[in-house]
Amino acid sequence: MKLLIANRGEIAVRVIRACRELGIPTVAVYSDCDRAARHVRDADQAVHVGPSPAVESYLRIDRMIEAAKATGADAVHPGYGFLAENAVFAQACADAGLTFIGPTPKAIERMGSKTGAREVAIAAGVPVVPGTDAPLGQHATDDEILREGGRIGYPLMVKAVAGGGGKGMREVRSAPDLLAAVRTARSEAGSSFGNTAVYFERRLLHPRHIEIQLLGDHHGTVVPFVERECSIQRRHQKVVEESPSLAVTPALRERIASAAARVASAVGYTNAGTIEFLLDQDGSFYFLEMNTRLQVEHPVTEMVTSEDLVHWQIRIARGEKLTLDPAHALTPRGHAIECRIYAEDPDLGFMPSPGLVRGIRPASGPGVRDDSGVTEGFTVPVFYDSMIAKLVAWAGNRPAAIARMNRALAEYEVLGIKTTIPFFRWLMGQQDFIDGRFDTTYLDHVLADRDESFSALSEPEEQRIAIAAGLDAWLKSASSPGQASGSQPANAWKTAARREALGG
Amino acid sequence: MSTFEVDVNGRRRIVAVERLPQGWFKVTVDGASNMVDVERVGQFGLSLLFPEDGHLSGTVQLAPAASAGERLAVWEGITVPVTLNGRRHASTDGAGGRAKGEQKIVAPMPGRVVRVLVSEGDEVEARQPVVVIEAMKMENELRSPVAGRIREVAASAGTSVEAGRVLVVIE
Repeated sequence: MKLLIANRGEIAVRVIRACRELGIPTVAVYSDCDRAARHVRDADQAVHVGPSPAVESYLRIDRMIEAAKATGADAVHPGYGFLAENAVFAQACADAGLTFIGPTPKAIERMGSKTGAREVAIAAGVPVVPGTDAPLGQHATDDEILREGGRIGYPLMVKAVAGGGGKGMREVRSAPDLLAAVRTARSEAGSSFGNTAVYFERRLLHPRHIEIQLLGDHHGTVVPFVERECSIQRRHQKVVEESPSLAVTPALRERIASAAARVASAVGYTNAGTIEFLLDQDGSFYFLEMNTRLQVEHPVTEMVTSEDLVHWQIRIARGEKLTLDPAHALTPRGHAIECRIYAEDPDLGFMPSPGLVRGIRPASGPGVRDDSGVTEGFTVPVFYDSMIAKLVAWAGNRPAAIARMNRALAEYEVLGIKTTIPFFRWLMGQQDFIDGRFDTTYLDHVLADRDESFSALSEPEEQRIAIAAGLDAWLKSASSPGQASGSQPANAWKTAARREALGG
Repeated sequence: MSTFEVDVNGRRRIVAVERLPQGWFKVTVDGASNMVDVERVGQFGLSLLFPEDGHLSGTVQLAPAASAGERLAVWEGITVPVTLNGRRHASTDGAGGRAKGEQKIVAPMPGRVVRVLVSEGDEVEARQPVVVIEAMKMENELRSPVAGRIREVAASAGTSVEAGRVLVVIE
């Protein structure tokens, strides 16, 4: 097998790592701005697939297939985002004789439609959040939209039928806001997924987002894993995930996991996928949607089960049987937390902060896992999602995992750009987070009421930085020409290099 | 002795640096003096030891930022802007309510204007969203750093904008 990764950034690096461990040669793809990106340098081969905008490169199915042919790759891993849940791409791979590391095009199509997936769940006897049965296409009239909204009741969620990652999703609290929300959701869905159809779901007031990772092989076995808790969301985007959830007892875990397995089995699901649920305060849970791919937050599952999900994806695609023990997959060992580190300025409303990474020192040490996709000298492009790393902390229990995450965040240095690390340092210290008192509305709620900077330092800390800046200026001026102490640093380096070259 | 004006996280401080005979430095910040043993570590790092102040130790990284003249200092996972001698650029961050007078809202990155939420002459509150731009696949709200009146709207929905382009002027 030779595997082409039809993706970029940290997930491409993650897949390359798995391939290296399995002795599989890798092919990266890259756009103009990613020419020297880490995933390109880490792979054995790399193929240019187009200009920087994703539609001209990472979303080009034809270029991916050509790149595989040109390098003799016989398998394709789509990562997540881009073409990962695109049935046309999965089919194009099959037609070209390439093994697609993921489910069948049919399963992607069936579960990729949110309304289609709801039908599957209902048929499998799994409860769904009350909502519209048929999608509202672009020709739905304002009257139809308002009537359907009234039937579901407020508050409700407007969601893109083809949606994912929080895009094309809006909460509506009352009827007068509905039409504007549908318009916004359609415009986001159109540009992100090329499909403007939307549907409505009742908004549960204080739900937790609980999801079940599963694997299915080509021999009819589906194995669900211990849940992930993903309720810490900002504008419907997960920012912190953990496993297990404080809100899930072993008995509830059994029930949710078996519901997830029933949905997956109903479509003959193969490879890795995740079923998302909303867990209400009364302990009832509702099917939300299925993601027919590996997820960003897969590492927390790996940390508490010691299974490598990407290894399994590849082995399943090769036709191997799932030999892992189902009881083992459902039993968490310790506790894992993941923070998604974005190139965003948390003090400017989480505005993207792309730019040149002057240096990066990821956290390490006991129980810490860094899945990063950038290196020193790389310019974080403006064209793609701004996540630069996933930081995962594992420990024997949740308080220890939080303490470890705090330690790791303080250790993590990203130089030259702003990141969300200060925000996570703040979050790890919030009593509600520490006590596990949160639901999917928690973060937006506290952020809306908050005006202070996440980067506030104590007076001694600020003084220390002022001291460093003053010393830096002093040392620079002392080493510049005209001063007794000698040459500029650049010249000093040249002198040193020359000395070395002469063997002196 | 050299004296510098240093802005740390938006707050100006006077820093005086004097080299002492044994190699340490006497660094005075706003009148309070510290004895510091400093060593450069790596391209941007400074190892700081305070042998006479509880033997504290730590590292401050001072890397150049995107805007010229500004540096981003990293300390224990917190990143704050630092400028020397007041060469700080006008910025739209409202930290501490420092923003005064005319304020320009500029596109922080290339993108597409999705919606303009204000018109000329509108009164806006501090932190009120004024323009939505789509960049990096997300819609981002640009907010007014101050309360004021919209003097000029230089953006229209659907247009592409470059980084640094002025979108709205508030007075």
